[in-house]
Amino acid sequence: MTATITANLPVFVVIAPLFVAFVLPTFARRMRLVESLVVAIEAIGLVGAGYLASIVLMQKGIPIIYSLGGWSAPWGIELEVGSLGAFFLLVVAAVSLPVALFARGNLTEEVGGKERVTRFYVLYLLLNGALAGMAVTNDLFNIFVLVEVATLSCCGLVSARNHPRAAEAAFTYLILATLGSALVLGGIGFLYIITGHLNMGFASQELGRIWQDYPHVVWMAASFMLVGFGVKSALFPLHVWLPDAHSTAPSPASAILSGLAVKGYLICLLKVLYIVFGHTLMQEFAMHRILVLLGMIAIIAGSLFALAQDELKRRLAFSTVAQVGYIILGLGLVNMKGLTGTLFYLASHAVIKSSLFLAAGAIIAATGKHRISELAGIGRKMPVTMAVFTVGSLGLVGIPLFSGFIGKWYLLLGSLDAGHILAAAVIIIGSVLCAAYLFPIIRVAYFEPVPEENWQDPGMPQKIALILLAVGVVILGVAPGPFLELASRAAIELLVIK
Amino acid sequence: MLDLILALLSGAVGGLIIAMMPRASSRLRNTIALIFSVTGMAFSWRVAQLVFAGESIRIAGEIGGLSWSLEPDPLGAVFGLIASTLWLFATIYSFGYMANEKKQRTYYTFLLMSFSVTLGVAFSGNLVALYLFYELLTFATYPLVIHERSLEAMKAGAKYIIYSLSGAGAILIAIVVTYGWAGNLDFAGGPILASGGIRPGLSLLLALFVGGFGVKAAIMPLHRWLPAAMVAPTPVSALLHAVAVVYSGVYGILRVVYSVFGHELMGQLGLSYVLPWVAAFTILVGVTIATQQDVLKRRLAYHTISQLSYILLGAFTLQPWGLAGAMLHMISYSTLKITLFFGAGIIAKQTGETKVSKMGGVGWQLPKTMAAFGIASLGMIGMLPLNTFWSKYYLMKGSVAGGRWPLALVLIGSGVINAFCFIPTVVAAFTGERGKPTAERGAEVSLMLAPTVLLAGIALLIGLWPGLVWPGVQAVVNWFF
Repeated sequence: MTATITANLPVFVVIAPLFVAFVLPTFARRMRLVESLVVAIEAIGLVGAGYLASIVLMQKGIPIIYSLGGWSAPWGIELEVGSLGAFFLLVVAAVSLPVALFARGNLTEEVGGKERVTRFYVLYLLLNGALAGMAVTNDLFNIFVLVEVATLSCCGLVSARNHPRAAEAAFTYLILATLGSALVLGGIGFLYIITGHLNMGFASQELGRIWQDYPHVVWMAASFMLVGFGVKSALFPLHVWLPDAHSTAPSPASAILSGLAVKGYLICLLKVLYIVFGHTLMQEFAMHRILVLLGMIAIIAGSLFALAQDELKRRLAFSTVAQVGYIILGLGLVNMKGLTGTLFYLASHAVIKSSLFLAAGAIIAATGKHRISELAGIGRKMPVTMAVFTVGSLGLVGIPLFSGFIGKWYLLLGSLDAGHILAAAVIIIGSVLCAAYLFPIIRVAYFEPVPEENWQDPGMPQKIALILLAVGVVILGVAPGPFLELASRAAIELLVIK
Repeated sequence: MLDLILALLSGAVGGLIIAMMPRASSRLRNTIALIFSVTGMAFSWRVAQLVFAGESIRIAGEIGGLSWSLEPDPLGAVFGLIASTLWLFATIYSFGYMANEKKQRTYYTFLLMSFSVTLGVAFSGNLVALYLFYELLTFATYPLVIHERSLEAMKAGAKYIIYSLSGAGAILIAIVVTYGWAGNLDFAGGPILASGGIRPGLSLLLALFVGGFGVKAAIMPLHRWLPAAMVAPTPVSALLHAVAVVYSGVYGILRVVYSVFGHELMGQLGLSYVLPWVAAFTILVGVTIATQQDVLKRRLAYHTISQLSYILLGAFTLQPWGLAGAMLHMISYSTLKITLFFGAGIIAKQTGETKVSKMGGVGWQLPKTMAAFGIASLGMIGMLPLNTFWSKYYLMKGSVAGGRWPLALVLIGSGVINAFCFIPTVVAAFTGERGKPTAERGAEVSLMLAPTVLLAGIALLIGLWPGLVWPGVQAVVNWFF
């Protein structure tokens, strides 16, 4: 029995949320059941992901391979839970559980109506399944399918609020993201034409042999992939859709979009670049330089834009643009420390940004105020929420003992190993700018006169969700052990291939 | 080891207890603050005693592949002694000064928290721990800087945070580079980079370190946050902006010079010929600007900037005498400067005067305060019965021993300018209309006056009997040379 479960776990963690998503509408009238079902499936997902991660850790790098339908590659589709897959699965599960817990609160008011709540959850689980799929897939076409599922469900989540602005943001997102999907599909097509494989491992081997015959096709494929995933992961200057989309979505959706969805596309990009192209080919085509450069620009520009925002959620959204810069920069470092750093930073940002967005959501729900300048004294009225926000901010700035610091430390080590002094300087400048746009919020919240209104912390499930995420930020900062282990293993594996 | 843990925790625990009691009477709160300051001090003294006795105390751990350690050596022990002793004085002074102020809970919470963090800086055993506490110190002291909550205070706070974080960023890069080169960040095994010898980029690394720590040590032109931060309540200005925070920067530079590079490697770097002159520049320009300030606290702030560079100058001479002078100045200057600040606070509180030009005759109203203030002013020149005479003496000796006698001239010149800085104020305070010393009566004034006079007395005592602190200084010098 246990053997069967273990053997099928890689596909189960992907299929389970998708399956529940399709069943969910039948229970639409029974809200409590729907909510419990979602939380339950997320909890099961977390247990599954944790179990897979522990197996991968114990096997010391030997991945768990699952052939769909019993057809082995290159004929069938292959799922591979290696260090990278287990790592991202764990991140997805660990973040989406608290977010689902938080959503139990005032989602009905936020999305406007009970029937819309179920719709929200369906999309939420679809996105979840797609992200889990991205973690474990080892097939190029699967990546495209999952990217499409994720994109469409993201689009639905953005428009979940019954508001013209939400519809507009969702439409912009739809247009740009579809463009991105088309580019990704084009890139996959090019690779398929010259290699004849969709399985990443086989495609990579073939590509290593023949790339010199088709340098232009490889160029095209690489640039299509970069731009396609760049649009989806809001790589500056392709981020234009993100601030509107992430700030108008309901708060749990913003948390999952900023925290996880963007990361899913980055993981896809990472897989394509490091597994299919391989780091030697990447360097041959100067991709690493482009990535570092784009990352640096994104860090600075995103932070400066964030500084200029007065609306809380918009500031957080622009901050995501800057933080994506760190991850892109790390992808371009092509050394073990840099990659470890980038993966850890990805996990750290996923936890931090979702905690920040959820805290912001709780504040907005309680006060009805969207602007930072109107939040005077909120820290005294909503101590738990603001404490979580503070922990998240400290983490994002990269203060030691919080998760961001370890990510930044490895990114700095990596950029100096790669000889990019400028990149190291930009990482630091980004941290200072991050402090400059986050600390004023904390200052306003704690050190300005306390208002008369009766604002309160949200209810118990939300509080638990917030505290879970804050504890996650601290644990990742103080005892990152297994996470860091998985990240560094993944980095080694990615660099060993070819 | 237990002593070290208790010394570090007492401030934080006290701060948390105060934070948990929003409705406590100010009497109860003061008692708690006093108890935990005394405990913190007692255990830091105990730690220092053990360190000077040659015992090694070490707590170490690892976070994500980064090992940290707390392992006080003589330098850390001396800093810990200075900070913890003066903290007690400042806490008692605060009881008087803050008696009628608002937001006392926040004030005492963060005052005690910063105590722990400062001791953490002092007792850190490697660069990771030092960086951690150095960074935390910024946040722990921020609420104290903006205590007034006025627009000016908020601006000063923002400046403080941005300056400090930028400095910390430079330090972080420097630490990463050091780690990449040496693979080790512990202070205990001799200078970290010494074994690697000269390599390209070493001067740049030194510049990053000194620039980073130099923000809190207020080396010109990185000093701008310090005068702005004077909006804080006087005990905070006295303790943090004359001692704890700025000393953490100075301490960082001392660490970089003697524990990261080592004096031998430093001597081979071209930059080590420039750094003493940067310090000399700050000494002269700082004190000159100070004489031009009319607001007493601003004058004190620029004067601090100048005096901190005395210590740096001593460190940059790379001579045993110079280091001895630096350590002596660290001890001596802090006692005097806190006396001056405390005096300024009493004047401001009791007479409402903050400007030097309007302080004519205050000496008659506040004779004891101004007497202490006068003693400290004399000390700033480096007059004999006071402790700074000795530190200046050794600083000059170190400069000359290093073959850089013009630096000794800078110190003499600065002493002369120092005379113009505070002596006229003291003289003016005792001329003019004779009033009655009514302003020095009452429990609150006594609470402020007692630490002030006591510190002036300690300064005199050390001046007359420098052997009192000499063993500590000697231990530091022997440790590094």
